[in-house]
Amino acid sequence: YNAAPTSILFMILLGFVDDVLDVPWRVKLLLPSFAALPLLMAYAGHTTIVIPKPLRAYLEMEVLDLGVLYKVYMGLLAVFCTNAVNILAGVNGLDVGQTLVISSAILIHNMMQIVSSSDADYQQAHAFSIYLTQLLVGASLGLLCYNWYPSSVFVGDTYTYFAGMTMAVAGILGHFSETLLLFFLAQIINFVYSIPQLFKWVPCPRHRLPSFEPKTGLLTGSKDMNLVNLFLRWFGRCTEQQLCIRLLIFQGLCSGFCFLLRFLMAGWYK
Amino acid sequence: MADVRRRRGFPASANDKELAAPAASPPTPRYTATLIFGSLCLAAYIALFARHARDLDAELCRSIAISFCMSVGAFFAVIRLVPVVARYVLKRNMFGYDINKKGSPAGSIQVPESLGIVTGFVFVVVTILFQIFCFSPDSAWLLEYNAALTSILFMILLGFVDDVLDIPWRVKLLLPSFAALPLLMAYAGHTTIVIPKPLRAYLEVEVLDLGVLYKVYMGLLAVFCTNAVNILAGVNGLEVGQTLVISSAILIHNMMQIVSSSDADYQQAHAFSIYLTQPLVGASLGLLCYNWYPSSVFVGDTYTYFAGMTMAVAGILGHFSETLLLFFLPQIINFVYSIPQLFKWVPCPRHRLPSFEPKTGLLTGSKDMNLVNLFLRWFGRCTERQLCIRLLIFQGLCSGFCFLLRFLMAGWYK
Repeated sequence: YNAAPTSILFMILLGFVDDVLDVPWRVKLLLPSFAALPLLMAYAGHTTIVIPKPLRAYLEMEVLDLGVLYKVYMGLLAVFCTNAVNILAGVNGLDVGQTLVISSAILIHNMMQIVSSSDADYQQAHAFSIYLTQLLVGASLGLLCYNWYPSSVFVGDTYTYFAGMTMAVAGILGHFSETLLLFFLAQIINFVYSIPQLFKWVPCPRHRLPSFEPKTGLLTGSKDMNLVNLFLRWFGRCTEQQLCIRLLIFQGLCSGFCFLLRFLMAGWYK
Repeated sequence: MADVRRRRGFPASANDKELAAPAASPPTPRYTATLIFGSLCLAAYIALFARHARDLDAELCRSIAISFCMSVGAFFAVIRLVPVVARYVLKRNMFGYDINKKGSPAGSIQVPESLGIVTGFVFVVVTILFQIFCFSPDSAWLLEYNAALTSILFMILLGFVDDVLDIPWRVKLLLPSFAALPLLMAYAGHTTIVIPKPLRAYLEVEVLDLGVLYKVYMGLLAVFCTNAVNILAGVNGLEVGQTLVISSAILIHNMMQIVSSSDADYQQAHAFSIYLTQPLVGASLGLLCYNWYPSSVFVGDTYTYFAGMTMAVAGILGHFSETLLLFFLPQIINFVYSIPQLFKWVPCPRHRLPSFEPKTGLLTGSKDMNLVNLFLRWFGRCTERQLCIRLLIFQGLCSGFCFLLRFLMAGWYK
C-alpha cells in the first residue's frame, strides 16, 4: 500500500511540471505509465477475471488468468483515468465536480461491499480505497469552494492528473477496477465521442469550447465533438453554471445507472 | 541559497508569448571536465567493488551491478533530456542571470533554471524500474523502498514548487519534515545509539534507546541535509559537485561495510543505500555536464532539495546516519559559520556572494560569513572555476578525514 502515495505523488509532480512547462501531449500520454509503475509492482492480488456467465459456454472456462496482461490493463487504466478527467473539462467547476461525483459513487460502492462481505482481506481492500477517497473528497471540496462558478481559481492539469490517479489507485488496490470503469461512463462517452477530433480525422481546434455571448451571458454549443458542446446542442443554450450542473447531474445519473446495472446483473452476471 | 547567485526571471503564462526570451544557444555539455571529475570521485568505489565482487553474495553482487548499469543509463538519459527541458523552461521565462559574471558578456545570458527536475525525474524512473529486477512483491524491503521513493518524490515536488513560486523560508524549513514522514513511518530499525567508550563511565549506560527521539533526530537530519546543500552554493557546479563527492564517499563507505560484515540484514541495508546513491551519481553527473563552469543551466532548489533528501534517505534507511553527518562536514562548517548572518545578528545582504571583476575575470571575497568567501579571503582571488575546484577538493579532503577518523576511532570509539 505504500506504493499508493508514491504513484500519486509522482502524478502530482508530473501534473505540476506540465502546468509549468506545457509538456507535449505525446509525453503526457506516456508519463502516467511511469507513475503507475510502483503500483503495478506492489499489486499482489488476483490477476484473474471472472468470465460473465453468458459467455462461459463459448469460452469454455469460468475464470481467466490474465497474468501480466492484467498488469498492462491496470497501467492503461491509470493512463485512462488521469486523462479522462482532463478532457471532460473547460467549464467552471466541472473537473472538481465530476471527481466528487465519481468519488462519492466509489465510497458508496466500498461501503456496500464491506457490509455485504465477511472476508477480512476483501473488507481491508475496500477500506483502503475509502481511506484514499475520503481524503480526495475532503481536499477537493475545499478546492471547489474557490473553483465553483464563477471560478476564482483554476485547478490546472495538476488537479485533474492527481484526481484521476487517486481514483485509479483506489480502484486498483481496492480490487474493483472494473466497477471503477463503470463509474467513468460519462468520461468514456466523452472520450469516444472526441476520438474523431483527437485523431485529427475531423479538424481539431486548440480549444474545443462553446461560444460565449457577453450580452446574454449564455453559452452556445459549437460543432466540436465533446460532451460539453453536445449538451448545449441537445438541451439548448444556457449559462455556464447551468451547463455545469446539467453535466454533473448526468454524471450522477450514470453512477446510479451503474449501481442498477451491477444489481441487475449480479445474479445473472457472475 | 542556491538562488542567490542570479537575478531571476519569472514563469510566464502561456499567453505571454510576446515576453518570451530571445532564442538562447542550446546548452553545451562539458564532457571532459565531468568525466575527469566523475572518475576521480568514483575510482575508489569502482576499485573496491571490482576487487571484492567475488567475495560477495552472488545475488547481491548482481543487484549492485544492475543498479550500476541503470545509473549509467540515467547519465545518458539526463544528457539527452536537459537541452530539451531547457527549451521549455526558457519558453516559460524561468531563467536567471549569472551574478558571478555580471559586467562581462556572459553576465547577460539567460540561463535556464531548475534543471534539477530532469535529474529528479530520471532518478525516480530509474529507481522505480530497478524494483522490477530486484524485489518481489511481498518483500519487506519493498515497503522501505517505496517509502524512500515517496519521500524523495515529495522533496522533488517541493523543490520544483519552490523554484516556481518562491516559497518563504519559514515554510521551506517545515516542508522537508513532511517529506520525511513516509520515511519515519517505514523505519523499522534500531532506535538505540551506542555510547562512545569515553563517555560510558559518566553516563553509566552502554547503549541508549532514544525511541521516539531517534525519529525526531531522523526528521531533523532530513531537514538539515536538504538545506545544507542549498546554502553551500552560488558557484557554478558547486551544488552538483559537492553532492557527487559526498555520494562517492557514501558508496565507498557502503561497499566497505558490506565487505567487512557477514550479517545479511546489515549488508542489505548498505546495499539499499547503494541502490539509491548510484542513480543519484549517474543522474547528477549528467547534469554536471551542463552545470560545470561556465554553467549552461542552473540546477535550482529542485536539485539541491532532491539531492539532500536522497542522501538523507540513504543514510537513514542504510542505518549509517551518523557517518553521513560526518561526510557533511564542510556543509556543517558553512552552516555554523553562516549562523550570525542567517539569524541577522550581523547584517545579511540578499546575496552573500563574492564580487566579480570583469577585467581580470577574478572573484574577490566579500565580508560575508560563508565558506565561499572565506576561501577567497584566505587563499586569495581566483577564477570561479578555481574556486569551485578548491571547494570540492576541500570536500574530498573532509571525506578522507572522516574515513581516517572512523578508522582511528574504531577500536577506541565503539
